[in-house]
Amino acid sequence: MAPQAFETDFWKDANLRKVWDDIVPGEPRSTIPYTLTREAIELYCASVGEDHPIYFDEEYAKTTKYGGLIAPPSIHILLMFACTPVDDWMRSPGTVNAGQSWSYNIPARPGDVITLQARALDKFIKRERLFVVHDNVFFNQRGQVICSGRGWTIRPQ
Amino acid sequence: MTFESLRAGEEIKGPKFAVSRESIRLFCDASLDYNPLHLDDEYMKGSFGKTHFGGVIMHGMNNFGLISRMITDWAYGADAVHRRLETRWIKPVRPGDTIQPIGTIRSKQATVKSRWVLIDILVRNQEGEKVASGEATVEFPTS
Repeated sequence: MAPQAFETDFWKDANLRKVWDDIVPGEPRSTIPYTLTREAIELYCASVGEDHPIYFDEEYAKTTKYGGLIAPPSIHILLMFACTPVDDWMRSPGTVNAGQSWSYNIPARPGDVITLQARALDKFIKRERLFVVHDNVFFNQRGQVICSGRGWTIRPQ
Repeated sequence: MTFESLRAGEEIKGPKFAVSRESIRLFCDASLDYNPLHLDDEYMKGSFGKTHFGGVIMHGMNNFGLISRMITDWAYGADAVHRRLETRWIKPVRPGDTIQPIGTIRSKQATVKSRWVLIDILVRNQEGEKVASGEATVEFPTS
């Protein structure tokens, strides 16, 4: 399977992205399905030092209640960018993460085709800063909720 | 470790994590978050969105991932399940810093169908300064 293309220059297409004024709370963001691979899970694990065999050792994983390899719950960090297009405002250079809260239902697994339902839920101004509240839910190919979360970002403009 | 044996005030020590430009770059590749906050020194000398950092900073979500690693590694050993994590960023983390999350059991509670442990989270840097705080919920299923 060919690797899924990803534009790493966040300045490119920056002019296509919504500024704070354009963001409509409640309006769904466009998203794209993403096939989670074992390689992507292993790279994510390496970046935070995850070394539990449940993520790497298939024989071990089969003996656990999960019955096979899973991804760490925090894999939604990757999924957030993997499931959104280049003109999504999460990519606006200068977007500052101000806080997050996530609830976990079932693990994501290698081979899952993951979809995202996302929207801005609220936007407000505090101490002259432009905040947006993000509302995100990830599903697997069977329509089961993997996790859901809320994020607060400060917009650069 | 069992739900019954846990006591408020008990500590969970998370892993120490040495932050470098390389670790931040690896997190960019792993998370696909290539925001210039984490890559571009020139950009970070300026101000934007009423914020100013003066140099590249680690992803807040790198911190989140490290806390999550602490919680899951602790929970797997007890056949428990990491169910929730909420975080707030207090201070930027920069290349050269070493951070470590610590969890403190705050309380435990049974509901109609399950049992839950609430954990206060604090992440400190090598100076002992608080860089992030939060709270986690771990489920201890009854069957």
